[in-house]
Amino acid sequence: MRSRSIISNEGAGARINVTPMIDVVMVLIVFYLLVGQLAVDRKAQIDLPASATGIEQTQEHDPIIVGITVDGQVSINGNHIDNARFAGEIKGMHTRSPRTPIQVRADRDAAFGVVRPIMHQIRDAGISRAQLATEQQP
Amino acid sequence: MSQPADQSSKHTQPSTDAIYKRPRPLKRRNVLTRSSRFGPNMTPMVDVTLVILIFFMASASIGGLEWFLQSELPKTQDPDLQSSGYSLPTPMISADLFLQNRTVMVRGFGDQPSTIDVVVDRIKGMDPSDAKGFILGIRAQDDVPYEAIVLLHDAASLMEMRVAIR
Repeated sequence: MRSRSIISNEGAGARINVTPMIDVVMVLIVFYLLVGQLAVDRKAQIDLPASATGIEQTQEHDPIIVGITVDGQVSINGNHIDNARFAGEIKGMHTRSPRTPIQVRADRDAAFGVVRPIMHQIRDAGISRAQLATEQQP
Repeated sequence: MSQPADQSSKHTQPSTDAIYKRPRPLKRRNVLTRSSRFGPNMTPMVDVTLVILIFFMASASIGGLEWFLQSELPKTQDPDLQSSGYSLPTPMISADLFLQNRTVMVRGFGDQPSTIDVVVDRIKGMDPSDAKGFILGIRAQDDVPYEAIVLLHDAASLMEMRVAIR
């Protein structure tokens, strides 16, 4: 293969080297694509409510993330799950690792009638505390 | 006829002395230096690293940072009664949220129901030393938006009250 060289005897001093720019653009495009896709999958289009208080996430255990969208769709760690299967799934996860915290990521516009059954099922699984995810108020 | 041709050749081809005497205000990087012939070219990697670094910094400041409100999910009326059979029950304030003319109202603070903003102000106006020992039990009707529960929870957490959602 013919290798690229930035050193050329034919007037190389008068040219602009565009290789770094191309590299940066390609990396940015790939980065945006990946991050955008991951963010959509993980957050499931949930607008969190804002709060002026809260605690930072502890890194001791990876939490079980329960997502609740505005139309009542439920997910565990980003995977959609039927409401009928939710109780069994969350109970199994809690039994396997009882010290794992539960984070509830519910949409700010979701009706409490949608959120309450999920919280009750979490409670009935033997979990007495939950962390409600919020956005930090500026 | 040959006069104009001579003039143009003078303008397009300055003498080598004139080129070297041209002032250079800043020192330019020269890709043709001898050292650039050897080893990998680090410039693209440095560029990429800096761009990613700036992107992370910008997205961290623009995107909303998250944190968490600790909430209890009690089975009984008083969460303390679950764990300790003989301790005195913790004083509990019950807040019942409901919608009235699309406004979130709270029953349990005072004789008459108040709007949630009024209740939030009342909670924030409490003596912190008194409020610290209380548990705020939140109950809400189905049509109350989840944001209202978090608003009340936030005010109680600010006063270091424990919050139980029922």
